[in-house]
Amino acid sequence: MALLEVNDLKTYFYTRQGVVQAVDGVTFTVDKGQTLGIVGESGCGKSVTALSIMGLIPKPPAKIAGGQVLFEGQDLTQLSDRELQNVRGRQVAMIFQDPMTSLNPTLKIGTQIRETLERHFDMSRDEARKRAIELLDEVRIPRAAERLDDYPHRFSGGMRQRVMIAIALSCSPKLLIADEPTTALDVTIQAQILDLLDELRREHEMAMILITHDMGVVAETADDIAVMYAGQIVEYTNSLELFDSPEHPYTEALLGALPQLEGDEQEIREGRLTSIPGRPPDLINPPEACRFAARCPYSHYEDSCTRVQPELREIRPGHLVRSAHPTTERAGEREKVEV
Amino acid sequence: MTTFIIRRVVWTIPVILLVILMTFLMMRQIGGNPFRHTERNVPAAIQKNLERKFHLDRPWYVQYAYYVKGVFTFDLGPSMSQRTRTVNDIVKDGFPRSLKLGILAYFWAILFGVPAGILAALRPNSIFDYFAMLFSSIGFALPSFFVATLLIYYVGLKLGWVPTNGWPEGFWQFDSRVLLPSLALGLFPMAYFARLVRGAMLETMQQDYVRTAKAKGLRYRRVIGLHVLRNSLIPAVTATAPLLGLIITGTFVIEFIFSIPGIGRYFISSVSNRDYSVVMGITVLTSVIIVIANLFVDIMYGVLDPRTREAR
Amino acid sequence: MAVDRREAALPTAPPAVGAGATLEEPSAGAPIAQASLWKDAWYRYVRNKAAVAAGAFFIILVLYCLLIPGFWKIPGIWTSLKDYDPNHVDFSQSYAGFSLDHPFSTDKFGRDLFARTAVGGQISIAIGFAATFFILVIGVVYGSISGFAGGFIDNIMMRFLDALYGLPYLPFAIITLAIFGTQSFMAMTVALTIASWFTSARIVRGQIITLKENDYVRAAKAVGARWYRILVRHLLPNTLGVLVIAIFLELPSVVLGEAFLSFIGLGINPPTASWGSMAQDGRDAFRLHPEVLFIPSLAIATLVLCANFIADGLRDALDPRTRETK
Repeated sequence: MALLEVNDLKTYFYTRQGVVQAVDGVTFTVDKGQTLGIVGESGCGKSVTALSIMGLIPKPPAKIAGGQVLFEGQDLTQLSDRELQNVRGRQVAMIFQDPMTSLNPTLKIGTQIRETLERHFDMSRDEARKRAIELLDEVRIPRAAERLDDYPHRFSGGMRQRVMIAIALSCSPKLLIADEPTTALDVTIQAQILDLLDELRREHEMAMILITHDMGVVAETADDIAVMYAGQIVEYTNSLELFDSPEHPYTEALLGALPQLEGDEQEIREGRLTSIPGRPPDLINPPEACRFAARCPYSHYEDSCTRVQPELREIRPGHLVRSAHPTTERAGEREKVEV
Repeated sequence: MTTFIIRRVVWTIPVILLVILMTFLMMRQIGGNPFRHTERNVPAAIQKNLERKFHLDRPWYVQYAYYVKGVFTFDLGPSMSQRTRTVNDIVKDGFPRSLKLGILAYFWAILFGVPAGILAALRPNSIFDYFAMLFSSIGFALPSFFVATLLIYYVGLKLGWVPTNGWPEGFWQFDSRVLLPSLALGLFPMAYFARLVRGAMLETMQQDYVRTAKAKGLRYRRVIGLHVLRNSLIPAVTATAPLLGLIITGTFVIEFIFSIPGIGRYFISSVSNRDYSVVMGITVLTSVIIVIANLFVDIMYGVLDPRTREAR
Repeated sequence: MAVDRREAALPTAPPAVGAGATLEEPSAGAPIAQASLWKDAWYRYVRNKAAVAAGAFFIILVLYCLLIPGFWKIPGIWTSLKDYDPNHVDFSQSYAGFSLDHPFSTDKFGRDLFARTAVGGQISIAIGFAATFFILVIGVVYGSISGFAGGFIDNIMMRFLDALYGLPYLPFAIITLAIFGTQSFMAMTVALTIASWFTSARIVRGQIITLKENDYVRAAKAVGARWYRILVRHLLPNTLGVLVIAIFLELPSVVLGEAFLSFIGLGINPPTASWGSMAQDGRDAFRLHPEVLFIPSLAIATLVLCANFIADGLRDALDPRTRETK
């Protein structure tokens, strides 16, 4: 049994302007000790997916409109608040995007680590404190024992993210959700934090969901990758397969948007990046058609994908794609046109 | 933290000097000195002696220096209309009564206003929220003398539940007579706290660190009680000092209506008696209280929000 | 003191999700942007029902104060015309109670309160607007000097404000009245201005400092515009929004201040009526005839309530912070 199984998850925001279908039928699984990368532009629903798993979406206006989140076979969407609180932090932990605002400015770092331990384990204050020092050591914060009594504003962004990681790890959860953990950080620190995360994940034998808009970030760490677009998964396969032979035009574009350090010297010198023209569709009353159709370079107005949404289908064993024009099929099309 | 407190305390001294100076200069503008244009017929020689005794023959800055010395040694000079009494006597008489009234008003304000704000924020747009905010808006708009007279008329006279004048003498003595004045005075700060706390809570609940607290699996009680409340009560604490100014203004009117012989009532009667040393003494006293309250609030702010300690 | 009343009316809750999110971006060009800024603000204000109702009520109240004393003479509107002279004394009508002739009843001297409340309102509102005007003028001058000069001067000027912040205004207003030696319209206005300008100075300074960092101000500096041109052309026009809000934040506190002073017997000289002095008239006999006190008090409360709601609505419509969230 997979550790986490998300089935047809739908999270909608009920606003005055209409129903925003932020997450619309997302399905994926994460096995024990495995890393899943979720990639997509901002606003594609990847963060909302993560918050839905944790039961942290702002209600109202958001609501889980359908689907299941099976964690070790238990549907988290059906749990009461109190039951869910026992899962959060203990079984599933989460790291957020902006470490500058994610820690409470008026409480000492030590308190913020300790309270998690004291909540989930039968630990005394002193034991929790000792464990907190170990945790800070583990995330490589120097002089851990002294820094425990510091307030967050005395820490840099990278250091704060380390504290957040320490808090997330404190109860040895089985699943760690990292929502853009490096986006707000300096480029030099990004790599350190990612390495640290991956290393600690291995040591603690955790599974991880790594959410990012940066293909480069998931390339190194993820086993599987799900590409999200406008609230849906458009491509889902293992990491190697995705980078070797991307099928969805959107994934291709994303990979094209990645600075290439190999290949044509001319292109590298020019530092050419492909950008995708257009914007994602409005998620209030999204089009009946393929949500990417308007930006898809291969979509023609007479194509069925401008009228009916393509299903997520298995184009090769273990490789799912939601497009009428995946790469492999396109080769054939082109030949046809030439003939 | 200690340096912060010391620096803040030292800064209070020039502020107090400035406030006294302002009051002093304004009082001088009224013209005349206390012993020149009173109704008393004082022989010229005695007049001279009196003027010398109270340094009125010296330039104004010397007089100011003497007055400042007086303030710092808790001596506010003689009363001009009541020969046998000093301003100190009057303050000693009236201040505890006013203080008791003010503290009670704060007590009601915090007792009802803060929980109302918290509950409204926990259930935004609920019936309770609407009622609390409607009540708060009305409490904001009603002049305190109107609230006081409404209470006297309906609760005191029509229903006859509580007596409508008199004031228990001892500082620790409380009976039903304190109810109406303190409630009338406390209504505005109550409305104020309710609104302030609600707004701060709603804003804090949107903060990322509250989401973090929830993600850690903390119980609802701890998330709200520690992470949300602690941060959203900071504005309520900082508001107490400027609110004190309003409460003091309010006591003037409330003491007047309920015939409570506090400093506010003395102040008003001194204004009509042209007893300027009492007017000045009470003005300086209330101003110094405000300055010290500001000091206290700043220190509290430093305690509650660690970021401010180092910023200054 | 007055300061709080105003700050309390500042933002209370974050805007609801998606509120005001549908307005189009203003098109390019500064003058157009200016025009559409006020137009946008107007649309947003109109959508706020409480603010619109408060605005309508406010206008009705002002019209009542302005027009009733003028119309009482028109024959045929009321039966006994002379009763509607706000200063007409008729002891036979003393405490006449509510009637069609006297919709707001009469006071001790038999003066009609319907007419008198209107006249009193003229004085209260006039003092209110006059003092608000002075408060804003002083605030703009002080705040813009402080904010524009910056550095040492700003520091000194703000320290001075901090020192005076929160002082109870009543004693200082009373001393000011004593200096004037009379309780004329002017004396009242000055007395109410003197301890109330701190907040507006702070607001203006804050706005100037924020604006100073804007690129267009930097650009103006870079092309060598003189400081007064930057101040007058670029900075001050953009403080207009907060000043409009400030009017409706200051007005109620000034009106209440006037009422307090009048109530304790330091109001404008009789027989001129203001709402505060009318409340004072009603004070002595309110145990028997509460209406004489309650009517002017209700008028004050209505005015203050309306002004608070208008300020709330204006803030939501004009405040740059809420505007950015769209």
